[in-house]
Amino acid sequence: MRSPVIPKQALPTKVFHWISLVSLFLMMTSGLQIYNANPVFGGRGGIHIPPVFGLGGWLAGGRHWHFAMMWIFVLNLLWYGLYVLLTRRWQHRYMSSKDVKALLVSQNPKRKNYAWHRLVYTLLIPILLLSIFTGIGMYKPAQFYWIVDSFGGWDALRITHFMAVPIALILGFLHSQLGRKVGSDRLLDSMFWTDN
Amino acid sequence: MSQEPEQKSSNIELELDDDTDIVPRRRFLSLAGAGLLTIGFGSLAEGFVGGLTEPLNQQVESLIFQPQKPVPEFPLSAIEPDKLIVNSFRGTPAINPAAYRLTIDGDVNNPLSLSSEDLQKLPFTSMVIRHVCVEGWAAIVQWGGVRLRDLLAIAKLLPQSKYVYFYSADGYYESWDLDSVLHPQTLMAYQKNGQDLSPENGAPLRLASPVKLGYKLSKWVTRIQITSKLGAKRGYWEDLGYEWYAGL
Repeated sequence: MRSPVIPKQALPTKVFHWISLVSLFLMMTSGLQIYNANPVFGGRGGIHIPPVFGLGGWLAGGRHWHFAMMWIFVLNLLWYGLYVLLTRRWQHRYMSSKDVKALLVSQNPKRKNYAWHRLVYTLLIPILLLSIFTGIGMYKPAQFYWIVDSFGGWDALRITHFMAVPIALILGFLHSQLGRKVGSDRLLDSMFWTDN
Repeated sequence: MSQEPEQKSSNIELELDDDTDIVPRRRFLSLAGAGLLTIGFGSLAEGFVGGLTEPLNQQVESLIFQPQKPVPEFPLSAIEPDKLIVNSFRGTPAINPAAYRLTIDGDVNNPLSLSSEDLQKLPFTSMVIRHVCVEGWAAIVQWGGVRLRDLLAIAKLLPQSKYVYFYSADGYYESWDLDSVLHPQTLMAYQKNGQDLSPENGAPLRLASPVKLGYKLSKWVTRIQITSKLGAKRGYWEDLGYEWYAGL
């Protein structure tokens, strides 16, 4: 096979992407199972998610999965955050003023795509952290009452926690597509499949 | 539409301007298949997953629980009377208030049998707290009644006491850890939102507390039994698969 240079990915980054993909899928689907017990939009008669997207089979099963995977999901973000800090990847791998400038004034479409790519994956970080913050507030509303209060009440907290699903789905989709736009399928493959 | 093989071998500059599928069909189908299989087998395995992680979660939950620290309360104006949904597992039992007794027995020095009048003579506590259901909804409610810790102080716990069972007139049963039972805001309530508790909300006597999920808060309680260990039966919903600790 005549293949051009395959991008190299650090092993921790590949592991992080794999665990993120799987744990986010399990968190989202078990979360939708829990959501269906009493939809925040309209209550029992409200808008239900098609059951095929719900992991766990019933409310208790959805909760079992959600509160099992929360550890994997949170610890994965934690160790990767430490890795990004210690290796100083945070200094040059994320959205910066240079990318803003590229988006505003650059005439180079490749540079613009790259800036969009960095913008989207950088945005994913606060969304995932927000879902953890709101999740702690819903899991332990008596002990972390100040989290509930900071959103103005229970329903606002629930809606914010729920909104992390569509927002993370959209950003995750854009992330994969911008990755392909910037580095073609080879970049996507290098993150998940290719040995290097 | 599928990826042209030529694209794979073209250089990056050219490829960036090519129209590619948003997601190649084969990749999409395999991802969707993997997702559905995960949901299917994962749903079958929920009991296994719960059994594996619930002991860990329970340890963390009871470790961070502060048994003596009151949960901040709300002003009376924050009460949400329409939000409290009535749940029961087999409807409202008929209870004759005149014949009603609350029994407290088990690992206590001084077993009790109390009428509604006896209970109303004991020190009254009122609180406005958030009642949170496992289903996801919540309601701010005022509850009034007797602190469970006051009742157990009269009954005099034996040193080996560790768990408390609650039996209800409708056959519902629950068990709690003693720390949560002795929390200053765990009440045996006979008042809701300033009025006598209604039968469908648990009259004559029910559990109310900000530190446990709604399914732990038994209605129509007729017997409180103190034990040194948990039996095979731990609660109606727990025995079906729900989490036992269920702390908030």
